[in-house]
Amino acid sequence: MRQPGCNRHATGRSVDQTQSAAPGGPDESNSHMTTTTGAPVTRAVGGGRSFFLKYMVRELGRRARQATVIGLGLALGIGLVITVSAAAAGVKNAQASVLHALYGVGTDITVTHPPKRGSGLLGPGAKGGGTFQIQGGPGQNPKVCVNNKCSTGAQTLDNLITTANNGPLSYSDVDKIAKLAHVKAAAGGLVLTDNKVTVSSASLTPPTQVSVQGVDLAHENLGPLSSAALKSGRTFGTTDASSHVALVDSDYATANRLQVGSHITIAKKAFTVIGTVTQAEASNPPNVYIPLAVAQALGTQGPGGQSLKGYVNTIYVTTASTADISTVQKEIKALLPSATVTTPSSLASEINGSLGSAAKLAGDLGTWLSILVLVAAFAVAGLLTMSAVARRAREFGTLKAIGWRSRRIVGQVMGESLAIGLIGGAFGIGLGVAGAAIIDAIAPNLTATIITDAGLRFAQGGPGGAGPVAFGPGGTLGSTTQNIPVHWSATVTLGVIGLAVLLAVVGGLLAGALGSWRISQLNPADALARVD
Amino acid sequence: MYTLTNVTRLYQKGRHTVPAVRDVSLEIPDGDWLAIQGRTGHGKTTLLQLLGGLDHPTAGKVELDGKNLGRMREAQLTKLRAVSIGFVFQTFNLVQTLTAADNVEAALIPLGIGWAERRHRTAEALDSVGLSDRARHLPSELSGGQQQRVAIARALVKEPKVLLADEPTGNLDEDTREDIISLLEKLWRQLGLTMVLVTHETVIARRARRIAVMNKGRIAVRQDPSSQA
Repeated sequence: MRQPGCNRHATGRSVDQTQSAAPGGPDESNSHMTTTTGAPVTRAVGGGRSFFLKYMVRELGRRARQATVIGLGLALGIGLVITVSAAAAGVKNAQASVLHALYGVGTDITVTHPPKRGSGLLGPGAKGGGTFQIQGGPGQNPKVCVNNKCSTGAQTLDNLITTANNGPLSYSDVDKIAKLAHVKAAAGGLVLTDNKVTVSSASLTPPTQVSVQGVDLAHENLGPLSSAALKSGRTFGTTDASSHVALVDSDYATANRLQVGSHITIAKKAFTVIGTVTQAEASNPPNVYIPLAVAQALGTQGPGGQSLKGYVNTIYVTTASTADISTVQKEIKALLPSATVTTPSSLASEINGSLGSAAKLAGDLGTWLSILVLVAAFAVAGLLTMSAVARRAREFGTLKAIGWRSRRIVGQVMGESLAIGLIGGAFGIGLGVAGAAIIDAIAPNLTATIITDAGLRFAQGGPGGAGPVAFGPGGTLGSTTQNIPVHWSATVTLGVIGLAVLLAVVGGLLAGALGSWRISQLNPADALARVD
Repeated sequence: MYTLTNVTRLYQKGRHTVPAVRDVSLEIPDGDWLAIQGRTGHGKTTLLQLLGGLDHPTAGKVELDGKNLGRMREAQLTKLRAVSIGFVFQTFNLVQTLTAADNVEAALIPLGIGWAERRHRTAEALDSVGLSDRARHLPSELSGGQQQRVAIARALVKEPKVLLADEPTGNLDEDTREDIISLLEKLWRQLGLTMVLVTHETVIARRARRIAVMNKGRIAVRQDPSSQA
């Protein structure tokens, strides 16, 4: 205010000067205005920024209780989202570790094929498979018939067969997959079981089963052997491709007193143990690894079934990046429509046990609970902000009367809401990290239960154990469950933190937008008439 | 100069149309001090809001320096209020979270004036209403009279052409009322303001250069305040 004696109207100032100001408004331009004294006043862009902050801080201080309620609501919602996301990320990591345990560290995708009808794996006597029968009983000479060729007398049966759930895939499919755009490498493997049983007139010894993995020596870095560590001896060399040499899992070696140089029998062939390997605790490794070509030569589709020469039953794929997994999955499905393409995420649906329950808990209940709390928090924030704006109607009416544009008032309210949102978000991140830490601390060790092919299942029919004993694919071949212990740890990633900040901003802006809508409805004359 | 031509403002209350201002024609020259008297509910405040561009007439024209306020866009009216019109309210209408200085400074924010200039002009305005020593006080720490002084400083810090005061002494005791009206009179003389003051108190109205009386929305202007009873 200019002091006495300064009669501004002598300058002839009129409303025209006001109306000829810059269209953007005096507070948004960098032009000059003329004061009533005629002296130019430089307008500073954003000159009210410090005032904005001061006003915002004081207003938040005045409404501390309400701001706290809004902030805590948002914090709770955001904290829950972080905790659930971290738990879900932990489940995903656990699922990935299961996949790696099953198929090796470098494997992103596995391709298997369900057995075709008539492949010899769906039932005895089916096309492609063999028929296999043992007849006899105590005191009788056993009669063993394989594909209707029978022999009588005591004998040992030793078959290296593919597992019941895995149908054969041509090795040429491995090359086709390897040539896909986003595929880094592909390797074939044969998951087999060596079944031994000795029958005689005196007894029928229980069958023994040894899980055997045919390893693609051209790609040892893919498949179950990739995650193994050599404990003794040596690993496969390129010259071993057609040799009867084997790597043995160290636990199996200990249990069977095997060491480097020992011999084991697989499909009636002697194999020299060239090394022992150890796998991660969580994995359920095969007992024996042999070269793929040898496995193909000795393996059959069920006892007496077709040879596996030129076939694999699992293809291990590494993608160029994890982002390409779903693309490659689609490409493989297009290439091999009837194949089963398993990724870490698709494996989730096949995993039972406590890991499956945890995945369901995090995926279903957690997500819905988070959404519910977030929606409630956003609604409370919006309603409280609208209520606060209604209570401040006269204040905003006054500001409009002294020349504040609605946009500036809206900006003030948005700023306040955003600040509450961000403070709530910061607390929410704290709550979320604490929640994840609590999960880490109290989460039990999980078990992934997966149906796996276990090879022959022994079944003896007839009362008193007499009667025919049948080994066969399908009905008598079966699957077993595989339990893999998994450590579940909630993982708070930068992405999750980013999501929290985004939610805080959205929550703040949403509340501010509702308040702003209320302001836009305010008529200054009506607002000034309001009684506080 | 204000020129009001056949101004009517009707309100819809339920199924009834209530005329707040009826066919008012009036001229308020630059530098004039017009007191508008009348009983509660007879249209004084509505007329003041029409003059300030806070409300629009249902019929007729409100012109300030030849510009029809009824035809101006909201942004133009806001700018007009920011630069040329100061308001003083009966209930002071200070922002309770801001100090006296901040409340005064708030009126300079729409003008985009830099911080240093704002602080300087705010200090001058508070000094002119005798509140230099209360600059950092919150409204709740000030008396009614002091709050109204802050409101007057806020209205005048931007050096407006027009001051519109709605019952500025309505919430004050007798002594303070005299202080405030004397302050307004002094500032009106010093600054050459066009001042329109709504009051229901004759003793206040008689200080004005002219008095207009509103009765059921209609206005009658008496040139000589001393002729009031």
